[in-house]
Formats: sequence, C-alpha cells, structure tokens
Amino acid sequence: MLNEKFIEDIIMVALSTGGDFAEIFAEDRYNTEIMMIGGKVDNGVSGRDFGVGIRIFKGFNSVYAYTNQYNKDALMDMAIKASEAIQGIKQDIVLGFTRYNYKNINPIECPPSKIGNSQKVALMREAHEAADNYSDSISQVTVRYLDYSQNILVANSEGRLAEDERVRTRIAIQSIASKDNEMQTGSYSPGAHMGFEFYDKIDIKQCGEEASRIAVTMLNAGPCPGGKFPVIIDNKFGGVIFHEACGHGLEATSVAKKGSVFADKIGQQVASDIVTAIDDGTIPNAWGSSNIDDEGEPTRKNILIENGILKNYMVDKLNARRMGMNVTGSARRQSYKFAPTSRMTNTYIATGKSSPADIISNTEFGIYAKYMGGGSVNPATGDFNFAVMEGYLVKNGKVDRPVRGATLIGNGPDILHKIDMVGNNLEYGQGMCGSVSGTIPTDVGQPMIRVSKIIVGGGSGVE
Amino acid sequence: MDIDKLKELIFERGRKEGFEDMEIYYENNSSFNCKVFKGEIDDYTISKEGGISFRGLYNKQMGYSYTEKVDESAIEALIEMAKANAQIVENNEEEVIFKGSKEYEHIDLYSDDLAGMSADKKLGFTRELEKGAYSADKRVINVNDCMYSDYENERGVYNTKGLNRNEKSNAAFFYISVIVQENSEIQSAVAFGTYRDFKDLDAESVAKRAVDKALSYLGAKSIKSGTYTILLENFASADLLKTFSDIFSADNVQKGRSLLKNKLGEAIGSMSLTIIDDPFMTDGVASRSFDSEGVASERISLIEEGILQGLLHNLKTAKKDGVESTGHGYRTSYKGAITVAPSNLYIQPGLNTYEDMVSSMDEGLIITELQGLHSGANTISGDFSLAAKGYYVKDGRIKRPVNQITIAGNFYNVLKNIEAIGEDLAFTIPDMTYIGSPTLKIKNIAVAGE
Repeated sequence: MLNEKFIEDIIMVALSTGGDFAEIFAEDRYNTEIMMIGGKVDNGVSGRDFGVGIRIFKGFNSVYAYTNQYNKDALMDMAIKASEAIQGIKQDIVLGFTRYNYKNINPIECPPSKIGNSQKVALMREAHEAADNYSDSISQVTVRYLDYSQNILVANSEGRLAEDERVRTRIAIQSIASKDNEMQTGSYSPGAHMGFEFYDKIDIKQCGEEASRIAVTMLNAGPCPGGKFPVIIDNKFGGVIFHEACGHGLEATSVAKKGSVFADKIGQQVASDIVTAIDDGTIPNAWGSSNIDDEGEPTRKNILIENGILKNYMVDKLNARRMGMNVTGSARRQSYKFAPTSRMTNTYIATGKSSPADIISNTEFGIYAKYMGGGSVNPATGDFNFAVMEGYLVKNGKVDRPVRGATLIGNGPDILHKIDMVGNNLEYGQGMCGSVSGTIPTDVGQPMIRVSKIIVGGGSGVE
Repeated sequence: MDIDKLKELIFERGRKEGFEDMEIYYENNSSFNCKVFKGEIDDYTISKEGGISFRGLYNKQMGYSYTEKVDESAIEALIEMAKANAQIVENNEEEVIFKGSKEYEHIDLYSDDLAGMSADKKLGFTRELEKGAYSADKRVINVNDCMYSDYENERGVYNTKGLNRNEKSNAAFFYISVIVQENSEIQSAVAFGTYRDFKDLDAESVAKRAVDKALSYLGAKSIKSGTYTILLENFASADLLKTFSDIFSADNVQKGRSLLKNKLGEAIGSMSLTIIDDPFMTDGVASRSFDSEGVASERISLIEEGILQGLLHNLKTAKKDGVESTGHGYRTSYKGAITVAPSNLYIQPGLNTYEDMVSSMDEGLIITELQGLHSGANTISGDFSLAAKGYYVKDGRIKRPVNQITIAGNFYNVLKNIEAIGEDLAFTIPDMTYIGSPTLKIKNIAVAGE
C-alpha cells in the first residue's frame, strides 16, 4: 500500500520533536451493503474507504492524526502537525523494518468481490421468503446484507511491518409480527470472517424462519414480571452478559486509569469457581478474529478468568506502558479514523458440566432468556443492563409462557459470583461492539448459564 | 483534485455508461480532539478527511457508490459500482434528482472565533475542566473522561439538473465523566457542553454539575417494584425522545416500521405536548439551510397541542404521500444512501419550574439517567424497559437516591401520559441530529426494583 522508504520518512518526521514511538496505519477497504425491505431491494451502496493514521507516543502521551488525502505532501503535513503536539528533543533512532510473516488463520475461499450483486440478492430473497412465509402475522421483513474486504498495513518505529486482509460478511434479518395496533420484532444476524462460502455453511432458510419465530412468539407473549429472580441465559448471543458485565471492565482502556472495578484484582477471585472466561482472536474465520491486531501484534488466546480467578486483562501498547504489562494482541479500531485501543475479539465463557435440561429442571421459578438483545455497562461502577429479545417464565423446573420486554440489570462483579450453573453447550453469536476506538465486529459466546439472582425489569404491565 | 473539475469528468463518464440524471455529494472535514488525564495530555487527535458520493438514475433506478480516494483513478469504479447497484434495485416509486428549491434561508453556521482558537487554548480549557472536578469535592477519586472536540464540515450537492449548493459549519463539544467514592461505594456521573458553553469558558460550572450529580447518587439503592409517577429530567427525556425520534420518519411509517400510520390529524399526545423540528435554531448543532438532497430546510411542527401535524419527509417519501418534501433527506455521510432524519428536534418547553414539579408530587421518582437505550427500547413497537437512576420523592421532597431499577412503558403511551412540562429545555449529546426536551412529568410508569 505504501512503500517502505515513504513509511520511513513519515515515521522520522513524526519522531522529529522527541516522540519515542511512532506508528503508521494504512487502510484500503471495499464495502458493499444491500437493503431489502418487504422483499424488494431498496438500495445498494458500495464504495471504497481509504486513509492513513499516524500515531506518536512520548511516555504516556499519545498523539493521533488521520487523513484520506492520499498524497505525499498531505501525509507529510499531517505528520508534521501531529509531531508539533509533542514537545521534546529528538532522540537518536535507527529505523529498519522487518516484515512480520504469519500463517493465515482466516483463509478466504470465495472473495465477495468475485460474487455478483444478483447472487447476493438471491440469497437475501431466500431469507426474506423463509421469514415472510413463516406466519400470517409477519407484516414486514427487512434483510440487510453486507460484506467488506479490509486491507491494512501497520508499521512502527520498533521495526514491525505487517499486513492483513480481513474479509467479513453478514446477513441481518429482522421480522416484524403485528396484530391489532401492536408490533413485535425478532432478528437473526449471522456473520463470519469469511467470504461468500459462509452461506454454504449456514442454512439461510432457517435463519429467516428463526427471526420470524421470535417475532411471532413475542407477539403472543404476556408481560414479564419485574423483580429479583434466578435467570437462565442460553448460549450463543447470551454471551453478551459477560461481554457487557465484565469484558469491558477487563479492557486496559478502563483498567489503566483505575476506571474499572477490576483494576488491581489480578490473582483474586472475581467470579464463582465454575467460571472460566476467554478472549480469543485466533478462532479460525470467526467474526471477531484477525491474524494480527491493529498494532501489528499477532492475536492470541487470552485467558481472562480461570476457575473464578482473574488472570489477565486485554492490553494495547499505550496501556501496556501505563500498566507495566505486556500487550495481548487486543488492539483494535474501526478504521484509520480511530487510534487503536484494547478491545475484545471473540469473548466467551468456557464450557461447563451441566446439561441445559438439568439447568432448567433445577429452577423452580425464574426467567429463561433464550435470545438476548444488546446492552451496555458503566465500567466505573460495573452496572450493566441488557435487553431480552426472547424470554420465558420458568415454573417448577419447566419452561412456561413467553414474556416480552424484559431487561436484566445488575452489577458485573456481583453477577460473576452468582453464576451457579454453567452448561455444556458452548456456542457463539455475532455482535457489533461500540467503544472509544469505534464500532468493531466481536463474537460473544457461552454455554447456557444460570445466575442465582438478577433484577428483571418487566415490560410495560400498565396500559 | 478540484471537485468542480472532477464532477464534470464523473458526469461525462456516467452519461457514457447510460446514466440519466446524476448527483455528487461531497464532504470535507477536519477535526481536533483532546483528552486530559491527571493534567497530562491523554489523547490528541487531528484529522483532515472527506469523500464523495455518486448517485444516478440508470433505467429509472437509483444506484449509489462512494470513494474516499478522490482522484481521476476513482471515476471508473465509482460509475461501475453505482451501475451494478442500480441494476438490483426494485423500487416502484419514481426516484428523482432534485433541481433545487426556489429559496434557501441564509443562516450562519460558521464561527470565525472558534476556527481561530489555538490548540493551547483548547487544551487549557480541558485541563481546567478536569481541575474543576478534582477541586469541587474531596470525594472525587477519578476523572475518567475529560475531553474537548471540535470539527469543521463543508458539504455540497451538485447535480446534472443544475443544483449547486454548499455550506460550511463548525462546532465544538466537551464532556467530563467523574467517579466519586465514599467508604466503599462508587458512583459516577457525566456532564457536557457545546460551543455556546465553551464561549463563556465556563469549565468550572460544568465540572461541578458532574460532581454534584455523582455525589447526589451516594447511598443509592433500589426501590420496591410498582407503578409510579415520574419526573423524567430534561437530559434523560431528550435521550428517550432521541431513541424514538425515528417514529416521525415518513420512511418508517410507509415501511410499516412506525405506529404513526394513518394518525395525521389525530390526538397522539397530551394537550400540552408540542414537538418541533427547527433546522434554523441558533446554536443548533444540526442546523442547516438544505438537506442531503439539496431541498431547502424548513421549520415544522410534528405535534401541536397533542395532535399529529406532520411527518419528516425526503423527496421519495413525499412523492409517495403526495406532499412536498420537508427537507429532511439525510445521509449519515457520503457513505450512506438517503434516508430521513430530524435536524434540531425538541419538545417545546412549558412554564413549570423544576422545583414546582418536584413539590407537586405526592410520591414518585425523579429519573435523571437512562441506560441501555440502544437495546432496551424497541422503536417499532414503542416498548421500552431501561435501567435508570434518580431519586425517590415523597410529599414533594427528594428523600434519597435510587439505582438498580428499570422503568418500562410504551413511548406512544408516554406521549399521552405527560401531565406537566418543565421550562428547562436541554439537548442530548450532539451528533448528526440534535434532540431536546424539558423535564416531563409522566404518570403510570412501571418500575422494577426489589
């Protein structure tokens, strides 16, 4: 993307005012997005993102500059402007790059750029029809298809020079079920770090039906009782509970400044001893995987919590300096428009011993959250909230009627201690995670778990 | 490369490839961001970027494409991508490239003072903001976010129908998040301001606002589940309105994604409720003289004294409903297709003071913050169930702080259940849209806690 001599020139300019580390990140990305509403293609947008980010450190200070004015003068000008924010004396630095080679863990069989729009539309139509035909109460189906191919280059003053290609695709199906003047929604949105071959590996018809099944189930659901109950959270996207309740608090972004409830807790028991939690950016072709992170470090399998004991955080270069720790291959960013920081990749609670049937039959009264919606957390206090997309009452060890509008709220550290059963059916779900370095693809995952007590916010019982 | 020259080359190429009417939308942005942590510069980011979007009619269907690599080498791909996209579109409604409105309002969206501000001055202000928080109270243990940011944006629309408009604006924003601790209890709160506050260099009072709020939560606990009357404070109320502002989009109404279908002229809110979209608002972060399709902006009432008066339209939705576009065609950036979105949208303030609203409550809750708006609110059904913080009120007085609760309801019912409207209009954290509300007194809200 950029030649080595030019990269060297930029880095030398960036370091001319006393910086002790400089990095250049170049991105060339092709996007395609197609919207189908009510079975008709509403629009398709495709385009090319192209830009460069320059980062300079001096001690704990960090300066970032980005531009997509792609010519030598404009880039040099940005490097000069960025360096002006550092006030110091130029250090002696000898530059020399070593290209970082690795085995590609995310091979792409069928690049989306080789697939015509009509084939993508045919796929969407199949999803639409399955969703639409599921039930007479389905009143609207929206299918969004996207793919992208992101080529990145990272080079830094430590001599690292690395490139990666991330190809991802996702199809998001949302169904609306209506009766009288009421609407409920259901959605299903699988994705992967794969090319179009992904759609040979999933059953698209089943995906469409699943979105509609959720919507119809919720249309016929009663209000959810509010209060404090045991809650069973199913696998796949249920892992969003760990992502929100704890994952964000284990990112160096909040730990380094002691802005996290998990700061200074390594080696301490932070969860019940049946909980092991992992962030693994190396799962082949998973949605949140990449060969290298956005600082050019190889991604890793990081054990965060092992049998309840806090083992590690997710650490990027700048926070590694602040914390005196090693980087963990966790630096990520949405695009060249963001400086990278520590983020999750594919984060999950490891598989346990209980069977899902046992977990349910051991619960006298509570809520069973089959599918979770999204959520958020305040890392300072650990307070989190998230929405239940498809929920049921559990009565006398059996799944009872569906309930709508449930929200789970609680405190991350508190909830971790209250996980009293972990199932043996680990699976993953795909999400988009928004934080300081932008919105990035992440997998969440877990087997079915039970939390002994959690505040459930009911739906509107009042008409 | 010069946009004037480039656009002619693009249109020429497009015509050759079979496009009829064509349009270029472009943006040029520059920004400055800084963060301070314990007096040190924690983040310092500058940028200069932009891109162009092409759209055009090919066999009567609209195809879109964009590029951030703006030079002659991009032209071929731009036209080819747009053509491939037009070929899959299946719209029955006629799409149009707009020739321009008769008149455009002249509004000044660019502050020379802001543009001329030095980085040192901005950094100084951010440091003061942080210092203000630490010196406000000994219990402040951490200022985990203290940032200032500003940007300049130039955008323009050119098309083969002769439309040629551009506009330049700038704005500034700052934000502080503080953590307080008493014994082992931790609470946090945020405060923010826009250029209007920055002009007065009022760092201290903004910092104090965040600190006071965080301190006021100390000792918070949950409350018994039940149905309560609530005072939804201005910032929280604006956040809720922002989440549900999509229901006023004619696009969503036409696509069956809003329950406002066939409700024009009907009472959908309490008599005291008026909602306005004002693109000309002074200091409105989303102010503009034309929308993303080049249509002249106008100020409109969506709800007047409880009656639904209108919806937000772009050219396509207006054509479908047989009305004129209200100038609310919107694209998130040059990367997006045209949708519909509000500009500066707000609930018109009433006459009640905050104090009077509190003292008029026998028993209820003041809700100061809502969380999980992106997940706990369903903009299609109107249902919401959201984590909340605030205070418990008994006999017209604040008794104690409350957290670990959720409030649940349906936004359409909330509009009807507004019993009083405050005078204290406030706006959400600004982005492309800017949404405001005063404090609202709302009955029948389901609260879940202990």
